[in-house]
Amino acid sequence: MKEKIKLALAQISSKRENKKENLRKIEKFTMKAKEQAADLVIFPELSLTGYVLHDQIYELAEIIPGPSTKRIEGLAKKTGTHIIFGMPELSEKTEATIFNTAVFVGPNGFIGKFRKMYLPTHSVFEEKRYFRPGYQTAAFNTPVGNVGIFICYDIFFPEVCRLTRLKGAELIVCISASPAVRRNYFEILTAARALENTAFLAYVNLAGVEDGLQFWGGSRLVSPTGALLAKAKYDEEDLVICEVDYRDIRPAETFIPTLRDLRPEFFEKLKKHSETL
Amino acid sequence: MKLTAPVLELELAEVEKRIRRFIKEYIENAGADGIVLGMSGGIDSGTVAALSSLSIGGDKVIGLMLPEKETYNSKDINDAKFVAEKFGLKTQICDITPVLENFYKTIPIFDQADKICKGNIKARTRMIYLYYYANKLNKIVCGSSDKSETMMGYFTKWGDVAADISPLMDLYKTQVRKLAKHLGFPTELAEKPSTPALWPEQLAETELGVKYETLDLILYGLERFMTTEEIAQQLSVQKPLVEKVKNRWLSVEHKRRLPLTPKLEYRTVGTDFRLPRHTY
Repeated sequence: MKEKIKLALAQISSKRENKKENLRKIEKFTMKAKEQAADLVIFPELSLTGYVLHDQIYELAEIIPGPSTKRIEGLAKKTGTHIIFGMPELSEKTEATIFNTAVFVGPNGFIGKFRKMYLPTHSVFEEKRYFRPGYQTAAFNTPVGNVGIFICYDIFFPEVCRLTRLKGAELIVCISASPAVRRNYFEILTAARALENTAFLAYVNLAGVEDGLQFWGGSRLVSPTGALLAKAKYDEEDLVICEVDYRDIRPAETFIPTLRDLRPEFFEKLKKHSETL
Repeated sequence: MKLTAPVLELELAEVEKRIRRFIKEYIENAGADGIVLGMSGGIDSGTVAALSSLSIGGDKVIGLMLPEKETYNSKDINDAKFVAEKFGLKTQICDITPVLENFYKTIPIFDQADKICKGNIKARTRMIYLYYYANKLNKIVCGSSDKSETMMGYFTKWGDVAADISPLMDLYKTQVRKLAKHLGFPTELAEKPSTPALWPEQLAETELGVKYETLDLILYGLERFMTTEEIAQQLSVQKPLVEKVKNRWLSVEHKRRLPLTPKLEYRTVGTDFRLPRHTY
């Protein structure tokens, strides 16, 4: 595993329901990132299809691996990069059960996937109407590091990030489709999740406007001590290349020893009290 | 939550940016050649005209002034012209009086004394003009309804509210006034009393029975699920006033939705037919 990797925060604006065009854009951004020696290129939540899909999602969801993931696997092989992107995943076992999924591919093909665990269904969000939640956190040991993934609203639940970290992730990727009115929350939570877990946190948000919903962009890389290492533009498409130096984790862990100080006995209490809320 | 005027304060530069982006993106995706909007001389339509012009360039925006003789007010025309000149958009004046008079003449049950029914004809006639221009010139109609009016149902169904986009519909009236000042409107124009101009001397605050400064705070509280007791207490107003506002807000949902249809089939328009809104 490399001590240092170059990350590309590929903050794109997706064309709703147009996988062909979005795949082209993913290719274009990956090629640009490759020119700047990126090892891992990260695209936002549902970047393959756009976020505001309503019932059209049934026409757009694909099994994984499927045609779109195959194409992005080909791109990863061709460029020698690792790529994470979001798409609606159709269950292999049913006809219309869909997950909000992050896909991870590398030069050697498919690495793994993460299914969003917490589905926002409030305000402008209606994800529980369409998606089944995932039940597993994800951390993948790869040549670009031990990379964990979760999606957007999962960040509001610290246990998701904590579990991902406890599985060994040192770079935690949060892909997102967050509207502008929620920008403050994510700016706080991205720093908090990185700091409390002493891990790098790469947050990649959609940009652009879908059905009046404005995504705020602002993708970022946060250090294991909560420092903002790189930040993309607000609102607009952007490609930011930044560096993760895994050697920074050890001093962070000694200075902020939250993992050493974990108290597992509280988790039982947490379980009990959340069941009786 | 403390229900006082500061809760309605906005980051005006951010709001301006978001609305301009919203308008620009919509026009681009729609493949439209611009915007047509009605300019009454009031602050809502003036603000929308300004924002439209700032978003896509004044040469692509037409402000239609649609006066009629009963409510004609040269100050309104002058105010609309002032805004058009300041923000560089084109205007046209269409006197709708002859059309209205023919409507009145040809409706067998027309009742001259019923000013609401008559006034609604005016609002709907203006809508027809706006959509003619939009269709003919491949533009979209930009509405100027604000959140206060929309929540109160203080508009004509399929009339002044009819539009392809309504960039101000999430801002209360007092917030629109602040946004207008931020955009460079003179205070006198930004604070100009609001009127739907359906009949002479009509004033919004008189009809609604409450000042916008109070109404907006009541609506803000209702929006955030505060009880009528809490709102009345915090604003030091009578509870019946808050209840009246709440009842009116809830009773006019039919004006803000597609017509209701019985659920008979698999997916039903307006209820569970959920499709993305395509603008392209």
